[in-house]
Amino acid sequence: MATRRHVLAEAKLLLIGIPVTIWTLLPIYHLFLFSISSKEEAFAGKLWPDHPTLRNFSIVFHEQHYFLNHFWRQFGNSLVIACAVGVLTLAIAAFAAFAISRLRARGGRFVLNCALFTYFIPAAFLAVPMYKAMGGYGLLNTQWALILAMVTIAAPYAIWVLKQASDKLPFELDEAARIDGASPLQLFRLVYLPLMAPSLVAVGTYALLLAWNEYLYAFLLLSRDEDITLPVALGHFLSADDSPWELLMTTGLIYALPPAAIYYAFKRYMVAGLTSGAVKS
Amino acid sequence: MASVSFNGVEKAFGDTKVIHGISFDIRDGEFMVLVGPSGCGKSTLLRMLAGLEEITSGTIAIDGRIVNDFDSKDRDIAMVFQSYALYPHMSVRDNMGFSLRLRRADKREIETRVARAAQILNLEPYLDRYPRELSGGQRQRVAMGRAIVRDPKVFLFDEPLSNLDAKLRVQMRSEIKALHQRLRTTTVYVTHDQIEAMTMADRIVVMHDGVIEQIGTPLELYDHPDNLFVAQFIGSPAMNVVQGTLRRTNGIVHVLTPDGVQWPVANSGAADGQPVTYGVRPDHLELTASGERGVPGEIVVVEPTGSETELVVKIGAAQLVVEAHGRATVQPGDKVTFAVNPANVHLFDQKSGQRLTA
Repeated sequence: MATRRHVLAEAKLLLIGIPVTIWTLLPIYHLFLFSISSKEEAFAGKLWPDHPTLRNFSIVFHEQHYFLNHFWRQFGNSLVIACAVGVLTLAIAAFAAFAISRLRARGGRFVLNCALFTYFIPAAFLAVPMYKAMGGYGLLNTQWALILAMVTIAAPYAIWVLKQASDKLPFELDEAARIDGASPLQLFRLVYLPLMAPSLVAVGTYALLLAWNEYLYAFLLLSRDEDITLPVALGHFLSADDSPWELLMTTGLIYALPPAAIYYAFKRYMVAGLTSGAVKS
Repeated sequence: MASVSFNGVEKAFGDTKVIHGISFDIRDGEFMVLVGPSGCGKSTLLRMLAGLEEITSGTIAIDGRIVNDFDSKDRDIAMVFQSYALYPHMSVRDNMGFSLRLRRADKREIETRVARAAQILNLEPYLDRYPRELSGGQRQRVAMGRAIVRDPKVFLFDEPLSNLDAKLRVQMRSEIKALHQRLRTTTVYVTHDQIEAMTMADRIVVMHDGVIEQIGTPLELYDHPDNLFVAQFIGSPAMNVVQGTLRRTNGIVHVLTPDGVQWPVANSGAADGQPVTYGVRPDHLELTASGERGVPGEIVVVEPTGSETELVVKIGAAQLVVEAHGRATVQPGDKVTFAVNPANVHLFDQKSGQRLTA
């Protein structure tokens, strides 16, 4: 009896789970299908091409198309910007969370409330003010413009998450370290950072992926073909009357691989880091 | 090694005063226990000595040097926390050597001192383990090891045994005492457990609501409590207490309770008709053969523990606890008589709770 109820419950879950999985995977399969089809076959509407080919990848990797003239350069731009955003956001958020949560800095509560408040304003609303600000600093068309803009957007959430995770570390650890003779910086480096590692990985990955996937700000703040990131370059594909869809999809697939790899490598931390301090005292 | 003195120390959190002008001295090499119910301020006092809490007013001196404005690290103290507070990401070896590493001590010296502390505490097999791989008692020992390695002037213990089970607690209690007898480092030990205080301390400070009730050796507190609070706090089972009025009739002094029981008293300084609180410890009530002079009562419950027997008895309207040595021959419902040696009786003023001296 009990097993039958168990089977029934599982069947119901599967009934929901399978369609949702297909729904999620279908676009990705579509992406993959296009990338291994020739231009003629791409729109044939088949579930598997008659003559699967890797030619599209070869074209992309060898930059053999007008839209792909700067593929590697743009891929590199994306990489540099995403990594810089990840590292900078992490540094800012870790220092801020440490000061607010562990050193109990005055005004910490206020900073935290401000961070939360920024979520009432959609990032798109800030695009134009940000453009003007970067213009004022003379940073337009430099990678710094996009890096700083993305750090601005990612930092409040990162601070918030790290502050919550910090609060879960037992305060006696700080006191023990103080009595052992640690200065605040030593406490930060030798006790706080190692214990926060899972949360730091999660938050760093979050910021990195946010910048990697960003389109709007990259489109606004960078304009020369050599400076833009790959998502913006992908957007350019659509400006032609006869868009090379198979190449667009191939590039998109390539662009989606690093985040997938990162997520796979750090998924242990992502789950642990975003749900708890993950530290047993 | 060092002495410690508290001088008029006060602590307020906002408008709430939790410590009201405390002064006392701890001698060089002494094992001093601060004991009291939770919320009495004993931990706050210890944390002020450790430099983890600001001192609102008054001074604390270690070895004659006022340390009010010193950082924890400059006070030359080591502390063992209730939660152990071991660094989870460091091995036992690194936990113990952390303070020396921060002081930029020579690597070889750190090795030697950690090894010596590990040997004292029987931690040698565990040096490369992480705290999560240790049992509660082992973690406790690592926490002590971290303190020993520093060779500080004063050891501070903040309820270090509260997280251990009863059996381990007794074992660690004697280990800490043995450690103190070996190292002779001045120690301040905070606990809410009066048995821990009695068994470990050279001297005890009994605290209540942010003031000191009494300071003395364990047996001084047991035999001559200054007030009702100390009388009832120290000793297990707790002292029996009844309310009554002092009577002097024909040169004989006794305390008469409202239910008509007459309790014998040695000649006391209290006046005839003065309302008093009468206290007698469970082991000072002695079963006698009936018919003899004494206080009559009725057995309610018999609780044998093996070496001793605890009796709950009804005397007048009050229920009291009696500790009888050996095996009991009485049954619940038996009418018995208790002898009380007037010398073992404690009298307190009913209003102030202060001891009335003979």
